[in-house]
Amino acid sequence: MFDPYNNAYIVVLRDEDQAEMLPIWVGKSEASAISLALEHVAPPRPMTHDFMKSFLDAYNAKVISTVITDLNEHTYFAKVHLMYEDSEYAIDSRPSDAIALAIRSDAPIFASDSVIRKQSSEELEQWLGNLKPEDFGKLDS
Amino acid sequence: MTTTPHQSLDNLIPLTVNRVVEDSNTDTRIVVLTRPDETETFMIWVGAPEGDSIRRAMDSALPPRPMSHDLIKNFGEHFGIKTQRVILADVKSSTYYATVYLENNGVERMIDARPSDAIALALRTHAPIYTTPDVWKRRSGQHLDAWLTKLDTKNIGAQEV
Repeated sequence: MFDPYNNAYIVVLRDEDQAEMLPIWVGKSEASAISLALEHVAPPRPMTHDFMKSFLDAYNAKVISTVITDLNEHTYFAKVHLMYEDSEYAIDSRPSDAIALAIRSDAPIFASDSVIRKQSSEELEQWLGNLKPEDFGKLDS
Repeated sequence: MTTTPHQSLDNLIPLTVNRVVEDSNTDTRIVVLTRPDETETFMIWVGAPEGDSIRRAMDSALPPRPMSHDLIKNFGEHFGIKTQRVILADVKSSTYYATVYLENNGVERMIDARPSDAIALALRTHAPIYTTPDVWKRRSGQHLDAWLTKLDTKNIGAQEV
C-alpha cells in the first residue's frame, strides 16, 4: 500500500484472527520485492531476494521463520531463523528483507509481543480512514 | 543451480568496478567496469537500488542496518559459504547474465544472477569479477566518451532487466 503522505510504502501484517495489525514502512524497492512474491510473479531474471534464496538453496539452508523483533521510530529490526546442517541460526535483518525472503520460502512471519504492544493501532486506523480508494493502487501507479 | 563443471579461468578477463554513474534521465545507474590492463570500459545498466548497493560497497559504507546484499554476505559468513568468483557469462538482447560461483567444504555450486546482484555481493566478499572474451567483444560502452557527451539527448536502451 502506498503512503502518499510519507512517499513510502506500507506492508500491513495481520495476525491469523485478523485482530492485530502491524504496519511496517518500507522503501519502494523493498515493497516491490514483497509485492512480487505475494503475487507469485516470476520475473524474467532473478531479483535480489530470488538470488538470496538461490544462495541459501545451493547449500540447503532452510528459512524456518522470520520474527519482527523491534520497531523504533526509524529503525526496524527482524531476525531470520534458518536451519543449516542441523543447527539453527538467527540472523539480524531488516523486516523488509526478512518478509521478502519468508514469502519466497513459504516460512511463517511472527512479531514479538512487545512490537505489537508498541504499535498504536488506533493511530493507524485513523490514518487508514483518511485514505482515498485511489491510494490502494498498484505499486507503480 | 547446477554443480560446477570444470572451467578454466585462463581465458577469462578480470574486471574491476571503476565507478557507478547516476543516469538522471531514468531511474537507473550505470556500472562502469574496466580491465586492469586497458582503459577500455564495460558498462552495465542496473536499477537504482542495485546500483546504490554497489556504490555503498565501493565506499565500504556501513549502513546502520544490513541492506539486502549485506544480508546475503552475512548468510555466507554464518554458514561458511564462500563467494569464489563472479563471471559475467553471457549477453542476450542487451541483457547480461552473471554466474556466481560458491564454495562450501569443498563443494562448489554455481547460481544464476543478474550482474548487479553478483557484483554487489562480489565487492562485499572481495571475490574477483570476470567476463569471457566473447562477452567482452559484444559489450556496450566501447565508445564511452562519445556516448557520455550524447547522454542528455540520446534515449537510453540496453537496460538490465
